[in-house]
Amino acid sequence: MIPAAWSVKLCMTGSGAQKIGLVLVMLLMMAAAPPATAITPEEMLADPALESRARALSKQLRCLVCQNQSIDDSDAELARDLRLEVRKRLAAGASDRDILASIRATYGDYVLLNPPVSPGTYILWAAPVVTVLGGLVIMLAGRRRREDDRAAPTPDSGTDQVTATRGDGRVALALACLVMSASLGIYLVLGRADLPSRPLADRGAEIAAAAEQAQDAARDRDEALREAREQTEKTPDDAGAWLRLAMAAAASADSATEIMALETAEGLTNADPAIRAMRAEAMARAAEGQVTLPARELIAEILADSPGEPRALYLSGLAAYQDEDYAGAVAIWRRLQTLSAPDAPWMSLLADNIADAARSAGIDPNSVTPAPGPDAAAIAEAAEMTESDRAAMIDGMVEGLAARLAESPRDVDGWRRLVRAYRVLERPEDTQRALIGLADATPGDITTQLSALEHMVVAGLEDGFITDAQRLLDRVETLDPQRPEGLYIRGHFARHEGDPDRARALWEMLYSRLPEDAPIGPELRKAIDNL
Amino acid sequence: MSGGGRARLSFLIPLVGFLVLAGFATLALVATLRGERDVSQLPSAMIGKPAPSAPLPDLLDGDRTVSPAEFAGKPFLVNVFASWCAPCRAEAPALAILSEEIAILGIAYKDRPEDSRDFLASYGNPFAAIGIDRDGEAGMKWGVYGVPETFLVDASGTIVLRHAGPIDRRVLDEVLRPAIGGLP
Repeated sequence: MIPAAWSVKLCMTGSGAQKIGLVLVMLLMMAAAPPATAITPEEMLADPALESRARALSKQLRCLVCQNQSIDDSDAELARDLRLEVRKRLAAGASDRDILASIRATYGDYVLLNPPVSPGTYILWAAPVVTVLGGLVIMLAGRRRREDDRAAPTPDSGTDQVTATRGDGRVALALACLVMSASLGIYLVLGRADLPSRPLADRGAEIAAAAEQAQDAARDRDEALREAREQTEKTPDDAGAWLRLAMAAAASADSATEIMALETAEGLTNADPAIRAMRAEAMARAAEGQVTLPARELIAEILADSPGEPRALYLSGLAAYQDEDYAGAVAIWRRLQTLSAPDAPWMSLLADNIADAARSAGIDPNSVTPAPGPDAAAIAEAAEMTESDRAAMIDGMVEGLAARLAESPRDVDGWRRLVRAYRVLERPEDTQRALIGLADATPGDITTQLSALEHMVVAGLEDGFITDAQRLLDRVETLDPQRPEGLYIRGHFARHEGDPDRARALWEMLYSRLPEDAPIGPELRKAIDNL
Repeated sequence: MSGGGRARLSFLIPLVGFLVLAGFATLALVATLRGERDVSQLPSAMIGKPAPSAPLPDLLDGDRTVSPAEFAGKPFLVNVFASWCAPCRAEAPALAILSEEIAILGIAYKDRPEDSRDFLASYGNPFAAIGIDRDGEAGMKWGVYGVPETFLVDASGTIVLRHAGPIDRRVLDEVLRPAIGGLP
């Protein structure tokens, strides 16, 4: 390898040398590209001499299902079969020539990357020679003419010569223009990149091939999953085996198995937070990427135990993002950034996500301070703490947030965080207060009103918060008197306050607005009849 | 001025060369666009060669083997299929029709025998016999490079036609039936 400094110097010397230098640099760049090959170690032959013959043969054989790759370069299954066939025959003592001949006999000349010389390929082989010879003839003819011109410049024939040459030049120019415009025309009709491609129906063979490949890959994945499952049966106490099963299941998109395997691995590792976080991720994946409520609870538990668990932090940010709490998402992800090593594999994904969330929130990500969570030092400290100390620390953090919100009740993101924190700590009355705080901070948002009321109904807290409920119900009615959830909840509170007629009116209105096959239809009917 | 005349024409040589090449390219392009030339269909080197005759384990009877030699004396089809191959499902109806006209030998290519059996249970069994080619070795002898592939073998045991890809109505009516009908 030529040192880089030399190639730079080559580029910087005079113009002729500059061209050579550029060419050299380009050649060097090609040489520096790692050799592409698809061969896997287990395919290789033990004998290095045989293996190098196998490699040489593989490079001469075309992968028939690819576009101009040798079987040495290709990952296709047929290429692999042919590689193994070549090696099998080499090991059996066949000569290179025999091997090529027998493969050519079944797959035809096309399998050879160097086409054989035969009547069908004479033109192919002759073309380069003819081109070069033709070029030489033209060059020599041109030079002889110029020499003739110089040797015999007679005054009277001189003018003839000049006009003839000029005429030649004009015709040549016209022809060149014609060829150029014809090429351009062909390109515009057939070659433009933005033209629609050929209709899908014409591509049956390609689609079939792609489907086949996908099927092959699926088969391999199934195989891996089965092996992993067998391994867990053999060594049911090996957490590693269960983790491998979880990964194989993830590759096969078998979420149920993945979650089951992770749960087992958790049991074997004394609830390792990283594995629990993997399970939370699997739960989200099972729900098509939505961080579901059970997943959120799990994430919150993990973060309560190990506040710096990166996967759990990431998912917690994702949960905020999915709640359209973009600022909250940015804050959590920024915190993950500050806790992660600069070369952590998730850093670039994280930066993309933060940029995306910041765009959605219309904020500058750098203006967001990382979520008010403990920094790396505090986490390290927390790891040393006893269970009760840690609980106290978390309580302290939550109470601090609640106190801040009491002073500045318009902090919507703060309320959302407080709601989540209390939910995790399973303190329903505090959760209810925080939900009401959130609803009051966003009086024009019907969803926050509804979720505060919903929580009240589900947790059975109507009596304790009846004045708040009345305020929220009024808002719901003003914001959207026809909203189905609103109708249901208003009916519920009417019944609760002993006004069955009003409840019936509201629920009948809701019932009439339900689609024919709504699953809650029969239950609603029953509730109305019971009034 | 005869020398000058030759020189005047010499610049036409590359142009003529270009036009000849462009002509060939245009012919190929037109044939492709009109569907007369399918770039994905390669000629099989096996046409005119004897059908590989190595016996294969029988899919439906573990104690037996099947061999193309059993079919000798009459023309027959060889269909290479697999349960994991989607186009093989698509051609199942066409094979069912063909099975009433000619014997078909199935080769279950790189497939688990139980999967092949499930496949036949779901999509019908048009085959007179089915051999198992678990690792694709038999397929390689036939020059198979993707399933489904179908070969027509004449009464003398010589391969006369190969079709790569699923058999649809058009292939059935325009390729296979004329070829079968043309055999002695």
